[in-house]
Amino acid sequence: MSSTPILKIDGLYAKVVDQDISILKGLDLELQQGEIHAIMGPNGSGKSTLAKVLAGHPGYEATAGEVIYRGEPILEMDPEERACAGVFLAFQYPVEIPGVSIANFLRTALQARLEGDDEVDLFDFQDELIERMKLLDMDPSFAERPINDGFSGGEKKRNEILQMAVLRPSLALMDETDSGLDIDALKIVANGVNKLREEDPEMTVLLITHYQRILNYINPDKVHVMVDGKIVQSGGPEVALELEDQGYSDWKEI
Amino acid sequence: MSLESAVLKKLGQGAPEWLCRRREHAWNVYKNTPLPTTQSEEWRYTDLSQIVDLESLKFLLPGDVDLNGSLPEILEGVLNENRTASGSSFLVDGLTTNIDSEASLSAQGVIFTSLRSAVEDYSDLLEEHLAVEALPPEKGKFEALNAAFWTDGVLLYVPRGVNIKLPFRTVNYLSHAGSAVCTRTLIIAEAGSQVSYVEEIISEDFDEITLASSSLEVIAKEGAQVQFVSIQQSGHGVFCQSAQRTLAHRDSILNTLNVGLGGSVSRVDLNSQLLGSGAKSDMLGIYFGDQNQCFDHNTSQDHVASNSGSDLLYKGALDGSSRAAFRGIIRVHPGAQGTDAYQTNRNLLLSDNARADSLPNLEIEADDVKCSHGATIGQLDKEALFYLLSRGLSRQQAERLVVLGFLGDVMSRLPLGDVVDEVTQAIEQKLLTHA
Amino acid sequence: MPENELIQNLDLDEYKYGFIDQETHVFRTRPGLDEDIVRQISERKEEPQWMLDFRLKALRTYEAKPMPKWGGDLSKLEETLEEIYFYVKPQDQMERSWDDVPENIKNTFERLGIPEAEQKVLAGVGAQYESEMVYHSLKDEWESQGVIFDSIEDGLKNHPELFREHFATVIPPADNKFSALNSAVWSGGSFVYIPRGVHLETPLQAYFRVNQERMGQFERTLIIVEEGAQAHYIEGCTAPVYSTDSFHSGVIEIVLKRDSRFRYTTIQNWSNNMYNLVTQRALVNENATMEWLDGNLGSKLTMKYPSCYLMGEGAHGSIMSIAYASDGQHQDTGGKVVHAAPNTTSSIVSKSISKGHGRSSYRGLCKVYEGSTNARSNVECDALLINDTSRTDTYPYIEIEEKRSTVGHEATVSKVGDEQLFYLKSRGMSEEEAMALIVRGFIEPIAKELPLEYAVELNRLIELEMEGSVG
Repeated sequence: MSSTPILKIDGLYAKVVDQDISILKGLDLELQQGEIHAIMGPNGSGKSTLAKVLAGHPGYEATAGEVIYRGEPILEMDPEERACAGVFLAFQYPVEIPGVSIANFLRTALQARLEGDDEVDLFDFQDELIERMKLLDMDPSFAERPINDGFSGGEKKRNEILQMAVLRPSLALMDETDSGLDIDALKIVANGVNKLREEDPEMTVLLITHYQRILNYINPDKVHVMVDGKIVQSGGPEVALELEDQGYSDWKEI
Repeated sequence: MSLESAVLKKLGQGAPEWLCRRREHAWNVYKNTPLPTTQSEEWRYTDLSQIVDLESLKFLLPGDVDLNGSLPEILEGVLNENRTASGSSFLVDGLTTNIDSEASLSAQGVIFTSLRSAVEDYSDLLEEHLAVEALPPEKGKFEALNAAFWTDGVLLYVPRGVNIKLPFRTVNYLSHAGSAVCTRTLIIAEAGSQVSYVEEIISEDFDEITLASSSLEVIAKEGAQVQFVSIQQSGHGVFCQSAQRTLAHRDSILNTLNVGLGGSVSRVDLNSQLLGSGAKSDMLGIYFGDQNQCFDHNTSQDHVASNSGSDLLYKGALDGSSRAAFRGIIRVHPGAQGTDAYQTNRNLLLSDNARADSLPNLEIEADDVKCSHGATIGQLDKEALFYLLSRGLSRQQAERLVVLGFLGDVMSRLPLGDVVDEVTQAIEQKLLTHA
Repeated sequence: MPENELIQNLDLDEYKYGFIDQETHVFRTRPGLDEDIVRQISERKEEPQWMLDFRLKALRTYEAKPMPKWGGDLSKLEETLEEIYFYVKPQDQMERSWDDVPENIKNTFERLGIPEAEQKVLAGVGAQYESEMVYHSLKDEWESQGVIFDSIEDGLKNHPELFREHFATVIPPADNKFSALNSAVWSGGSFVYIPRGVHLETPLQAYFRVNQERMGQFERTLIIVEEGAQAHYIEGCTAPVYSTDSFHSGVIEIVLKRDSRFRYTTIQNWSNNMYNLVTQRALVNENATMEWLDGNLGSKLTMKYPSCYLMGEGAHGSIMSIAYASDGQHQDTGGKVVHAAPNTTSSIVSKSISKGHGRSSYRGLCKVYEGSTNARSNVECDALLINDTSRTDTYPYIEIEEKRSTVGHEATVSKVGDEQLFYLKSRGMSEEEAMALIVRGFIEPIAKELPLEYAVELNRLIELEMEGSVG
């Protein structure tokens, strides 16, 4: 028997608040610590809903099933509690927050993780931030820009990876981080994820994507196919290649 | 006849009791409402005491108007234009002389009639809606004046689900210098119906100040779509005062366009009420002043229900020593969440002596709203002018073109083909002839 | 009751400057206002006859002018004015060393951090307690260059001609009801003179404190900036929290000669029982630049519209304001720019935040007179709403008589977006932290203009204010 999974999803049903139709319909999934899983699926299969439900988006509601993260049920937890417990969502559409610099924002986010009167040391933080940006080949001036305000698509996604690098999550949920990126931007983003993994092999990654191409750069341990709110097939990297050949059409029949 | 109870008595002859009481009440409100001064926010830029002495005007009554069976030349011209319309009416000095509409429409229950005949034929409908729901006399001095002394006007009623393609049209003509003419329009569009209405105000040039007071009430029931267009091309000496209030119920679309070209002083008070959720109102305006003309627009967008939208765009060009004032307000009432409200006023000053004042206001009492407003006052775009000059246009031609483009931008938002052409022609005409 | 206990009883989380000192004064007029009181004030100050005449004339103007019907709710003000003390003299004379200031007053200012700031970052400090300046000092290096930074009373005494040449020329008593009132009963405030070409590198600061319950403070400040001179003046205000209302009505006049540059920064943090009705205006001559930086966080009702009258060719005026209204507060603020010369430029940037039942209103005027060719003005107002009970209004007046000018006004209203909140929460912040971060970002374009210690203070205040704002 394998060790306790870091994330265990059991029979999860979820829907948009104020609507009656379920989007997730009995989804099961298990991730062991340090694994990289990819979830692939056609548009409308519920991939992004899964990411949002796991992060605690208030617009979605789990109606049945369980999500156990590190042995604790998390569906009742606020998004910030989940974040402080090590769950990180890289957004498909990162939000713009004018006037707030990335540096200021990350310092506040780190501060939120500290107990009581502890304070983030300004100089340590600066050093750390510069070091993380170096790791990701980013210009230090980037951190002084307001969050996503006026960013290109690629810059927004890189900003998500930078936040991941600074906040060092245990479980990274990457919601279509590859969508809308050209091949160069995709490589930069994938590279960043790989570097963070090399540094911390214990970091678990759930990669949600529509396309196979990002898997050329990030090697998953397992690939799941999601159709109509459920996992319909699981296997090794070969599953992604099959999908590449056949597309999702086979699954439309189900 | 000047303003007094005797006029009311004469207007009340043969009228139902409810109407006499309503006129009497409006007359009392009028007497108890002081003439607005520039001390009041809403009249800050137009000094009525300098424009008109209401007591000295001659209030025309049925019987005062004698056409001797022939229409004035200017009206004949309009008649001969052979416009496409679902129905048309002519008012001369406040009384309907002609009115007709497509026979097929009356078969569907559409009512297009003069207000005077409606008093006899549709008394119940008028009693329910006229000067009570949208524009009661308590709204202001002129609203009270009009509610007491209106002589005629138009009732347009569109039954549930009836969809009318061509507009109804009214021409309002004034011929008596120094007179006061009060007319009203009441438009009721029942659920799911569609209708458009175009009114024109024309007159001779007068040496004495002459008052054209009109009141407009539009009620769009659930899902109805109404377009109202007013084209004001009256002559010199006319003080055109127009009070307009539109009530948009659930999911209705209620659009208005006010075009101000003529008159000495023009004042429009337009209040759009978004009463039902999903209601939308586009409020468009164009004005073009020269000589000593004054255009004063006072608009308000009241978002009472949630998820309603309004979008106001008023643009004006000012030449000579004309002046324009725009005062607009968006009010988002408590609970009107999901409101989308916009308000833009843009002015072009074409001469050294022209002047524009703009007060775009917001009052927001709900938090989940998208509201913005903007106002600009500037001069002709030099780059655009230069571009046209470099293509060989004369300065005058180039200026005309830029002004037309500036104003025409408003009309691109109005899906009323023929009417758009007419308005464009009217502006072109004024551009060509103005000093 | 000992002072400590009093402090304990106040809700310091909400307003940390709400402490009350023991009442000490050497003289005060009886409550209310009449000619006799104006005469007493003038007599106490040993003023020349012309000033007494000026005051009495202004009093008649004040009495003749009706209470404004626009702006905030002034319906209870008349009652309040009948009960307040118009003049309270806290000590016999003004001091130039903190050591000589009476102990209790000095303690107050120490708790507000004033003497410490003086040593560190300021060119000069003035401190007003009740109706009089109790302390005024200027660093020697500036004094030796001819800079004058004094109480307004000493300005009148020691520089009578300079004073009379400029006093009430920028804001005549009849400008509005409250400038008339101030002209009748003014007391305290600063007299500032920056000689030709002198650049003050660090700011001058005046600090205003009202301690007496039911007190009216009417400071009057006159600032003259000579050709090519540059300076920055900061004022801060606080008061204890009482159950009765107090009243503050200042008049600030600034004259900028050609090529000069002046910035006036206000961080207004009066307690929530203060009416704050202030008239401040600058006359800006050829190629001079005036900047108003106005932060309104406190008071019950503030009505305040810093103005720039651009009188000389190439003059520039800038008004940046932040207003924060929470429960029981109405911030009716904004700015006025009047273009009366060619090639003048102006900009107004206003940011307001309304929380709980708070209401913030932007009220502004942009006027371009005929002949002010190539005048350019731009106004931007952004309002942020925190709760569904909050209210915001925008009332911009735009009056243009010159065709060769360009004027624009834009305003937006937004609420803190749910998606923004979720994004920040998904990074581990609580809702309150997230809200505070968004609000700080919202005002950042203006806050960054503040001296560092003020920016920090502003952020801290906003964090305090955001506590319990979400529910």
